[in-house]
Amino acid sequence: MSSPAILVRGLKKSYGSVAAVDGVDLEVARGSFFGFLGPNGAGKSTTIRILTGLAPADSGSVEILGLRFPDDELEIKKRIGLVPDESLLFDRLTGAEFLEFVGRMYGLERSTARDRAAALLDLLELANGRKIIGEYSKGMRKRVAMAAALIHHPELFLMDEPFEGVDAVGARLMKDILLDQVRRGATVFLTSHVLEVVERLCDRVAIINHGAIVASGTLGELRSGGESLEDVFVRVLGAERQLERLDWL
Amino acid sequence: MIAAILRAQILSMRLAGRRGAVFSAITGAIWYGFWCFIAFTIGLFAAHADAAALRLWIPTSLLLVCLYWQFVPILSASMGSGLDLRKLLIYPAPHGRLFFVEILLRLTTALEMVLVVAGGIAGLLRNPALGGLAAAPRLAPILIFVLFNLLLASGTRSLLERLLSHRRLREVLIFFLLIALTAPRILFASGFASVGVGPFDGIIHFPALPWAAAGHAAMGGSLLRAIAVLTGWTLAAAWFGRSQFERNLRFDSTAAQSSTAGPEAAPRGSWSERLYRLPSHLFRDPLAAIVEKELRSLARTPRFRMVFVMGFSFGVMVWLPAVMGGQAARHSTIEQNFLVVVCAYAMTLLGQVTYWNCFGFDRSAVQFYFAAPQPISQTFLGKNLAYLIFIYLEVLILVFITMLLRVDWRPAQLAETLAVVGICSLYMMAFGNISSVRYPRALTPERVSQGGASSRFQALVFILYPLALAPVFLSYLARYAFDSQTVFVVALTFSAVGGAVLYWQAVESAVKTLGERREQILADLSQGEGPVATG
Repeated sequence: MSSPAILVRGLKKSYGSVAAVDGVDLEVARGSFFGFLGPNGAGKSTTIRILTGLAPADSGSVEILGLRFPDDELEIKKRIGLVPDESLLFDRLTGAEFLEFVGRMYGLERSTARDRAAALLDLLELANGRKIIGEYSKGMRKRVAMAAALIHHPELFLMDEPFEGVDAVGARLMKDILLDQVRRGATVFLTSHVLEVVERLCDRVAIINHGAIVASGTLGELRSGGESLEDVFVRVLGAERQLERLDWL
Repeated sequence: MIAAILRAQILSMRLAGRRGAVFSAITGAIWYGFWCFIAFTIGLFAAHADAAALRLWIPTSLLLVCLYWQFVPILSASMGSGLDLRKLLIYPAPHGRLFFVEILLRLTTALEMVLVVAGGIAGLLRNPALGGLAAAPRLAPILIFVLFNLLLASGTRSLLERLLSHRRLREVLIFFLLIALTAPRILFASGFASVGVGPFDGIIHFPALPWAAAGHAAMGGSLLRAIAVLTGWTLAAAWFGRSQFERNLRFDSTAAQSSTAGPEAAPRGSWSERLYRLPSHLFRDPLAAIVEKELRSLARTPRFRMVFVMGFSFGVMVWLPAVMGGQAARHSTIEQNFLVVVCAYAMTLLGQVTYWNCFGFDRSAVQFYFAAPQPISQTFLGKNLAYLIFIYLEVLILVFITMLLRVDWRPAQLAETLAVVGICSLYMMAFGNISSVRYPRALTPERVSQGGASSRFQALVFILYPLALAPVFLSYLARYAFDSQTVFVVALTFSAVGGAVLYWQAVESAVKTLGERREQILADLSQGEGPVATG
């Protein structure tokens, strides 16, 4: 039996006295489209940052694709594609130059990196490859980040709000690409505040709040009755409240 | 509203942390302590000088204060703090109030001049030749002179900031500014001085000029006339400052910097594209990819381009008069080592946009290096190699310029220059790699006036430069002491070996620190500023 794509046990990470991640246990099967949900500040981005090696954990163990962090850090990095919440784009490069650079950093031959960069720019409708990234719109930047995550054909995608700021056509295109990757055996680990997107794409979800997993399973397991994912989310977090009117508003 | 802006700025600055605040306080104390000493010395002179000396030195000093106030921020390529209008324009803030804050911020570019003027006034009030404290009303025009400088500096800053935002124009502008500023020195050094300094006397003493008016009033001239002259100049400066500020409010810097005039990237086959591709022929990936990325990014960064132009132009302008000063100077130490001196200057200037803060322009994208599957030491190596390519390009341009100017140097001197630049660079890159992970600071590529390293580190740079240059300097000292080229070569070889060892140690140390402070570094490089953009 193959190891899970992500296996996390007892993960903890604090900033000062605040526990951003507080004993997270997580298992993501290979070939799944996994949604990682939570309110703002719940610990989603911190978890992704630990999984990608951008932040060290205080304690706990992390295994990615059967390899242990941090012992096999470089090998793990070779096999994951990352779209983080903050931009990792170099603004003074053109889209084509950036993608070629990323490809070469992941060990591709220069000519291969250049060919793949051109193909991805075409696929993601970023044909103006000579414009520098600093002049791209937010949606275009997300598309380039997506292309950069794809260029080395990774086995696992770690994506933090990948569709934020992307127009409907672009988002549809990106979703189709990810679904196609999952069909081909890749794993996607996705965070998003747009629950409709998660509902449509993901086969399993986990909800994190105050640094701890409060619910996880398939959508069917989490729903009771005819609930939508939004209803599940609000119920699990205990966040239902009456709108209070402000006199002056 | 002003209080709200200042409070927001103070709250933004507290993120720098206690350690940073202590460091800033220490470096600030050293810098302003030095200027307090200068002010005290000027005060002593002013208190004991006779009337004839004061008649010459009051207007001359005020002229120098004015020149420093207006031009030093430009020459140091750091125009001080200013309002970040992009963040403030969305609020219904009256422009007059914003302009007032902007004027107050102009004090930050030349607080040292306020100290100097205060020292001078205190001295003059103790001078019996002026009548002691009774001279106070006659010195009042000097206060108007300070206000004039504040307003003029505000207008100059706004104007330059707008002009320097235009692509291509900024490099040309800097070049002409440098020529304008150094032309008098060159004219003097090349023998023009023999015709006399009459025109400069006129500039110092012409009563309709602000420094002369303030000087004449201090020496007993018509107070009303001085106030009238200075009020006129101050009103003109206020109009200039306010109108330029208003134009900046309406200015679209994004449009000015956009590449609508043509594609930003060079087409394949162009000479610049061949230069960018050069590392791929010399190194293997990922090192080659990093060097190539650095070359492309830096060459398209306005801040870097301006400093690069200054590197080969300003150095020549500063030192050229020393080798044009007649027969005696032609055999001076500067003339004999002209190439080395201007290259060393270029090297130190490039430092602020390269090795001292090598992740500055990457900002939050630095996380790519943490996420990519290659040892982080490759990133340091790649960035340092890119710097070396640029510095040797500077050397090449300087060689060409010195040939055009017919500065006399032999091929052996060129070889010596290449070696010295390489060795000094080893030491500077070693210190720079450590500073890049200890004191990282996000830089805005479009802002040509932003300092390279964090403010607390900039003071430390003044200690590190002499340290980095010391081994090579000692080699020259050995050549002078023993009058032997062999001794010089041996000493230089030892310096090179020492530099190489130090460099590798520094890379290891920087990699270790990066591992430990990864999150803090990423946070520092992602951090935005408050409503006031620091210079």
